[in-house]
Amino acid sequence: MNMDISALIPAPDAIPVHWGWLRFFLNLTFTLHLLFMNTMLGLGFISLVYAFKGRGEHTGAARDAAETLPTVIALTINMGVAPFLFLQVLYGPFLYTSSILMAVYWLSVIGFLMIAYYGAYIYDFKFDVPGKSRLLIIGLTVAFMLVIGFLFTNNMTLMLHPKKWIAWFAAPEGLLLNLSDPTLIPRYLHFVISAAAVGGLFVDLRKRWRQRAGRAPDPSHGPPGLTWFTHATLLQIPVGLWFFMALPGEVRIKFMGEDPLATTLLILGLGGTALALVLGFKNRLLPCAGAALFTIIVMVLTRDMVRAAHLEPWFTMDALVTAPQYSPLIFFLLVFVAGLMIIGWMLKAAMGRGKGAP
Amino acid sequence: MNYPVWETWFAGGGLLITVIAVVHVYVAHFAVGGGLFLVWTEIKGRRENSPEILDYTRGHAKFFLLLTMVFGGVTGVAIWFVIMLISPGVTSTLIHAFVFGWAAEWVCFMGEIVALLIYYYKFDSMDPATHRTIGWLYFLFAWLSLFLVNGIICFMLTPGDWLQTGNFWHGFFNPSMWPALFFRTAISLAFCGLFGFVTAAFIRDGATRERMSRYCAGWVLIPLLAAAPLALWYVKALPEGPLAMVMGRSPEMAPLIGVFIWLTPILMAGAILMALRTPRGVKKALALILLAAGLFYMGSFEWIREAARRPWLISNHTWSTSIRLDQAPIIREQGFLKTARWVSREEITGDNVLEAGREIFRIQCLSCHSAGGPMNDILPLTERFSTEGMDAQLTGQGKLNLYMPRFMGAPVERGALARFIVEGLHGKKESTAVVEPEELPFEIPSFDEENDEYVLLAWGGPGMHGLSDRGSWWVMREPGVDIRAQLIKRGETPEIVTDDVTLVYAIAPGFEHPSKRMEFWSHSESLVGRRIPPDIGPAGNGTKGEMTFDDERMAYVAENVPAAPYSDEGSFNPYPLFTITASPAESIADPVSTRIAVLISTEMGCKNCHGGGWRVDDRAGLTPGTCRNVLAVHDRISKTTLLQKAEKGSPMRCAACHADALAGAKGDSNLLNLSAAVHGFHAGYLTGRDDDACNMCHPSAPDGATRGFRGIHLEMGMDCTSCHGKLEDLAIGLLSAEKKAGKKGADRLLAPLAPRGVDEKDRLKPRSPWIHEPDCLGCHVDFSPPETDELPPNQWTEDEEALYRNRADEMGILCQACHGSAHAIYPATNPYGENRDNIPPMQHQGVPYPIAANKNCKVCHTIDMEDEAHHPNSLATFRNER
Repeated sequence: MNMDISALIPAPDAIPVHWGWLRFFLNLTFTLHLLFMNTMLGLGFISLVYAFKGRGEHTGAARDAAETLPTVIALTINMGVAPFLFLQVLYGPFLYTSSILMAVYWLSVIGFLMIAYYGAYIYDFKFDVPGKSRLLIIGLTVAFMLVIGFLFTNNMTLMLHPKKWIAWFAAPEGLLLNLSDPTLIPRYLHFVISAAAVGGLFVDLRKRWRQRAGRAPDPSHGPPGLTWFTHATLLQIPVGLWFFMALPGEVRIKFMGEDPLATTLLILGLGGTALALVLGFKNRLLPCAGAALFTIIVMVLTRDMVRAAHLEPWFTMDALVTAPQYSPLIFFLLVFVAGLMIIGWMLKAAMGRGKGAP
Repeated sequence: MNYPVWETWFAGGGLLITVIAVVHVYVAHFAVGGGLFLVWTEIKGRRENSPEILDYTRGHAKFFLLLTMVFGGVTGVAIWFVIMLISPGVTSTLIHAFVFGWAAEWVCFMGEIVALLIYYYKFDSMDPATHRTIGWLYFLFAWLSLFLVNGIICFMLTPGDWLQTGNFWHGFFNPSMWPALFFRTAISLAFCGLFGFVTAAFIRDGATRERMSRYCAGWVLIPLLAAAPLALWYVKALPEGPLAMVMGRSPEMAPLIGVFIWLTPILMAGAILMALRTPRGVKKALALILLAAGLFYMGSFEWIREAARRPWLISNHTWSTSIRLDQAPIIREQGFLKTARWVSREEITGDNVLEAGREIFRIQCLSCHSAGGPMNDILPLTERFSTEGMDAQLTGQGKLNLYMPRFMGAPVERGALARFIVEGLHGKKESTAVVEPEELPFEIPSFDEENDEYVLLAWGGPGMHGLSDRGSWWVMREPGVDIRAQLIKRGETPEIVTDDVTLVYAIAPGFEHPSKRMEFWSHSESLVGRRIPPDIGPAGNGTKGEMTFDDERMAYVAENVPAAPYSDEGSFNPYPLFTITASPAESIADPVSTRIAVLISTEMGCKNCHGGGWRVDDRAGLTPGTCRNVLAVHDRISKTTLLQKAEKGSPMRCAACHADALAGAKGDSNLLNLSAAVHGFHAGYLTGRDDDACNMCHPSAPDGATRGFRGIHLEMGMDCTSCHGKLEDLAIGLLSAEKKAGKKGADRLLAPLAPRGVDEKDRLKPRSPWIHEPDCLGCHVDFSPPETDELPPNQWTEDEEALYRNRADEMGILCQACHGSAHAIYPATNPYGENRDNIPPMQHQGVPYPIAANKNCKVCHTIDMEDEAHHPNSLATFRNER
């Protein structure tokens, strides 16, 4: 079909503040979401491994992971709302279109999420019930989380390729995926593996936090999560390279010197990864976590630039029309600050002895 | 139209949103009220030092967490997912207009989650005061979530000043925001009582179960009582459009309001029952039933709110087709396919009509309609339509039935959509076979130019009218025709015979029993208020009889002669012949006869839009299906009960309520006259058409079985609109007169009509049917050859006397006597035999031209004449000889 692809791209609506604000909030909240998402999936992996191994020396660690998982899911979903909002404000025409193209799968995310979420609660509440069903439940939970991730990866890449949208004309039933995209699998694996790494870090950080809070370390609290981190991050090196090489040439070249900022970000990300790995191998948890956090932030910004580079032929932020209204932004900032203060107070109040999560 | 469409035929539009939204909103309201319920119940437990109450609160908190945070949270995301799939354009508007409102709501959502998790997990390990504070904070965050979401939801119904200013705060603090907020707060408290019943009913300890059930009953009863006046406040806050929808303009509304109103006492009665001591099993069952009833209560409320917004997604901003108001002028100018993004073709050609129709359907229909699905299934709604009927429906959509958006696009695009619905969705193949009337034999009576003493000229009327043959359902007016004749005694100075003569008429053999085929007589008592014997007209005339002399017209007449376009055997013939015989008393010769074909047809095109098909030979007659739908639509639009009456054996005659000057029916003086009502209503559906608008209903279609327009004007390439004007102009003229007369219904029908022949509606003269009709002299100025073949606007006859059927020349000869009846002006071409309409001129002149054409004055005068005594130009040569 001979079509002017740019004519397919819906016209964006006007934004109320300079796009810089929205891009800032997008990356800020996406970083938070990514941290929680990685923790969630990582805890899922760890729980699955514990459940596979059965009861034994790691029961305490497994129980801890089981109790924590539902709470992390709740926060992951919540933290996903904000970047999803800002993503729509900035990239709505692309996101809505790709979502519609894969509508059946996209909507099925809801069902899968519900299953995974309730699965995590059932796994927690039935932790002490003997039998193989625990393995099945956590297995299903993790499987659905992985499916959700895969569908998200599809959507987030399909939105970057308007040329592929033309397939809708022959298949408008909402059953399109972005399977032919060479970046799809490495990108997906990149996220999944980083989840295993961050999950490991979370387990150790939680252990450290409990120790500092004066609680005796649980003797059954398993091998160090840092092992998960370092092994996963080592695996990330070939996968990351694969991902990088799978990027379209015009995007990749921006990170190879054409765009100084992009190149700097990539170098910082690689450096951060290397640093975190070294610190991980040296068993230096907090510095390692710090380096990992730094790397994640840099990678979020890198990802943002990859997206912008993909869309450059079709769209740039400067094309967005601004109909300035700053009072709602101020209102949000006030609510945000007040909300964080109240949440901070609540968390502080909850620091006392509890029966489990959060 | 900016986005691709997820083509979901079965789950089209409404279903997914409805299912997800209703369950989410129910749980989300519970999540708000439930916060207060938890902390209040905890306080009660601690104050009363009751471990049972605290146990209940803890258990309820777990249920609450699992239901609101997991199910409520995920379904909340689901709404977002589904609206961006079904209505991405509007989702984008909502997101962009309120991005920081949503962002603030996200903060509240975060606060809710943190507070609820702490509340549940620290129920026993936190000091009670702090724990209660956490509970209060949860409620605060949850209510603020409601506050924020409510403002944006209400914005869609009542955007208020935002439409002009685009200001966030104008949109948020919109006219229905406050009443909706209070109403929703009240029902959220009632719902927490309903959910409380569920956990209370499952308590094992009987005393605690009864105690907590009574406690929960209070939570249901008090807020529900408060909700009633708040709902009224909410309704009062609605602007005119949504208010009218709620008050019944939307056909969806009545059952929804019924469910909503009835559920209030049902829920209250249920709550009282729950407060009474009953066995655990009964309590469990009742709690679950009440929970389900609450879901219906919530669902009916949300549905009412959605339906009140019709035909908009955002009132006065975006239609439910996702087309924005500001896009309408561009679409009007360029067409829909050229302005929509996700279509594969911009032009419609013969080959791609169905595909183009499908693309238009996807964008304009699928967001609300399924095809074969459980919600808003378009198939039963459109089953009755022919392609033309569907096209007409699309034309009129959103004009009178304001809950539907108007079709947006060019006529050819509308036609493609109509074809896709009829052929693509219903699989109907329109019959392209043209009805070919067969030539029927007729005899021309003899006339001896040399010896005959008299010329008998006759004609029939009233005109181009369809006739209902299903009197068991309805008739517009009585079935019958008028026959007129003038007898002229020949001579150098001929005379119109006015006395000492008997004129009789007789319908052709085989047509004497119209009652065999027409249901009028079997239901005459209901239709006209008195029993009329079979085959007798309302004026007492039979199918044959004596004509009476009309002094005023100087003609013999037989009015309302019963007739049908069916032979006694049932074959269709819309031009039965009548023989008129004059027996002058002073004549010693044989009586004088002539013969005329009179148009009487049951080819009423109602079935084009009302379904049912033809009843007779695939060419004419009304089926019960057609009749039923006509009445059902009338009942729906005008709040009548005509269908019910007809089904109970009491059919109505339209003219009983709608005055009809032709039938002499006065009707109801508050209602529009028949012509204004029928033309006014249908004009909105047949906008932008020429004579095809007329042919949709009248028996005038050139490929129909009657082809009632058959005079010389047809041969000159003219059509109905050449004399009557376009339908819109005709309707505006009729309605304007009714408006002037103070008829309330006129404005509603006038509103969507735009004039065609003039710029402004008020430049069309108000006119009354059967009085202000096309004036022949408007084109034939001073009887001279016309300079136009289109009657200029407002050229109506001044009064009844000036009507073609009443007008006479200077000598008292009626126009129709020489020129034939209105739609069969000599020389006419009748589809059932070329000269079937021309029998009088053929009889007296041997040619089908007007009497005395081409200076054939001898027909009456017996000699040639030199003066144009009848009217100017009467001695001219006939210009359009065959």
